[in-house]
Amino acid sequence: MSISYKRVRAIFVKDYKEFSRNYALSIMLIFPIILALLFRRAGTTLPGASGFLFNSSFVLLTCFAQACLIAEEKERSTLRSLMMTPATTMDVLLGKSSLVFVMSAVVIAISSLLFGYEPVNVGAFVTGIVLSIILYTAAGTICGLFSKTLLEASLSILPVAFIFMGAPWGAVLAKDYPVFQVLDYMPSSQLVHLLSISGTGYTTADLTQPLLIILAWTVGLTIVSVVLYQKRLKDE
Amino acid sequence: MDVIQVERVRKTFGDRDALAEVSFNIPKGEIFGFLGPSGAGKTTLIKILTAQLNPTSGQAKVFNQPAETMRQSAQKMRFGILTDNSGLYERLSVEENLELYRKLYDLPPSAVDQVLQFVNLSADRKKKANLLSKGMRQRVLLACAIIHEPELLFLDEPTSALDPVNAAHIYKGLRYLNERGTTIFITTHNMAEAELICNRVAILYQGRIQTIGSPKELKRQHRENVIQVDLINGEAHELPVDGVTADRIADWMKQGLIDRLETKEPSLGDIFIKMTGSELL
Repeated sequence: MSISYKRVRAIFVKDYKEFSRNYALSIMLIFPIILALLFRRAGTTLPGASGFLFNSSFVLLTCFAQACLIAEEKERSTLRSLMMTPATTMDVLLGKSSLVFVMSAVVIAISSLLFGYEPVNVGAFVTGIVLSIILYTAAGTICGLFSKTLLEASLSILPVAFIFMGAPWGAVLAKDYPVFQVLDYMPSSQLVHLLSISGTGYTTADLTQPLLIILAWTVGLTIVSVVLYQKRLKDE
Repeated sequence: MDVIQVERVRKTFGDRDALAEVSFNIPKGEIFGFLGPSGAGKTTLIKILTAQLNPTSGQAKVFNQPAETMRQSAQKMRFGILTDNSGLYERLSVEENLELYRKLYDLPPSAVDQVLQFVNLSADRKKKANLLSKGMRQRVLLACAIIHEPELLFLDEPTSALDPVNAAHIYKGLRYLNERGTTIFITTHNMAEAELICNRVAILYQGRIQTIGSPKELKRQHRENVIQVDLINGEAHELPVDGVTADRIADWMKQGLIDRLETKEPSLGDIFIKMTGSELL
């Protein structure tokens, strides 16, 4: 399937204009920053603080914004109008996702600086964050596609918030309840593992294992979101 | 050359036939009206022709290619569509909405000015979409559908809920587009509208084409061979078209008794009712 840079950029610019005038949605940009400032006072050594900060930012900004952008287009029938133009499925999905990606990357970078998080390996940290943004954007797309209205979209991210944000906490119970071990394979739990690596005594496997698991989730959810997009917008 | 060829197209949803073996052709440069009440299958056919739906059986071709190819970007450059499902970005101005479409179709900046003039909205270009009246909104949607000057234009109930002045604006625009070579496929349940702008119409009822032809032809076919004569004394006569009637009318005319004389020609609405036994809803 072809991708046109011009069309992707046109959709990005349109989304940027709409987003900047949608105060109910753009206010979500400050949420990760407020959270970073709050946790900064508690100190970066607070167990699980960095993981909670990043995971909640992904759900409440990346996933929420993407779900709302998609649901609003569906509610107003503009997504169907876009489909009737030469823009391909990938043009539309990339155009719509790139705004959320850029916003999330900038806000997460600012939050990290304010929080004072210092990764032991910048490359692995950036890779983990980039993959997570793509993953939560795909999750937001799926939530938006299952919603008919903006209100439904805001509610549809609740299961994502519960499962993804709660997984690292649930995994702690795995010692008493082995069934919870499965939660350790959630991307949010793996991100927590990646962020909690400290000092110099880590191995390459300590970095690659969580990244590979996050990558698998990202690829899986991205494929699901593209297939779902094509199916949900067909009238069969 | 035919722009649209539909051959025995059938579409079922569950056990209900939305379209039952529909066949017709539309030559290049025609304004073709697809008439029928709500739920007759008009929108389903537009969706099949624009590759939003696949037919259950039969074959639909657009530009001599299977309708499924209308999903391709190159084919989408060739047609425009305005349906009741078309939407505008509410927080963007008229100009910003059109700017998006201009970029998606990769057109020069002048395309926005031209299409705004065409739909008579140049003065309102900075107005936000959420502040537009229903008529202006419909004109912006039409502008989005025709900004790339398509070879083929699909219009699904383009003037529903519009006042006569705004509807007249749309008709004028459509005629102008048609003169420049655009083939227009229009669905409507407004028979007067079809009579006014269509070269040919098909009447669709319960998924089947009941009749097809130019409005003039259809009226001729369904004309009752009677003459209505109103006399100045208040008498009204419905007379068959024959020699006896000709003599009677001649007498009345000599005596100066005729107030009004007309052949009884059915409207498309009358033809629809006659063919289907049903009122348009």
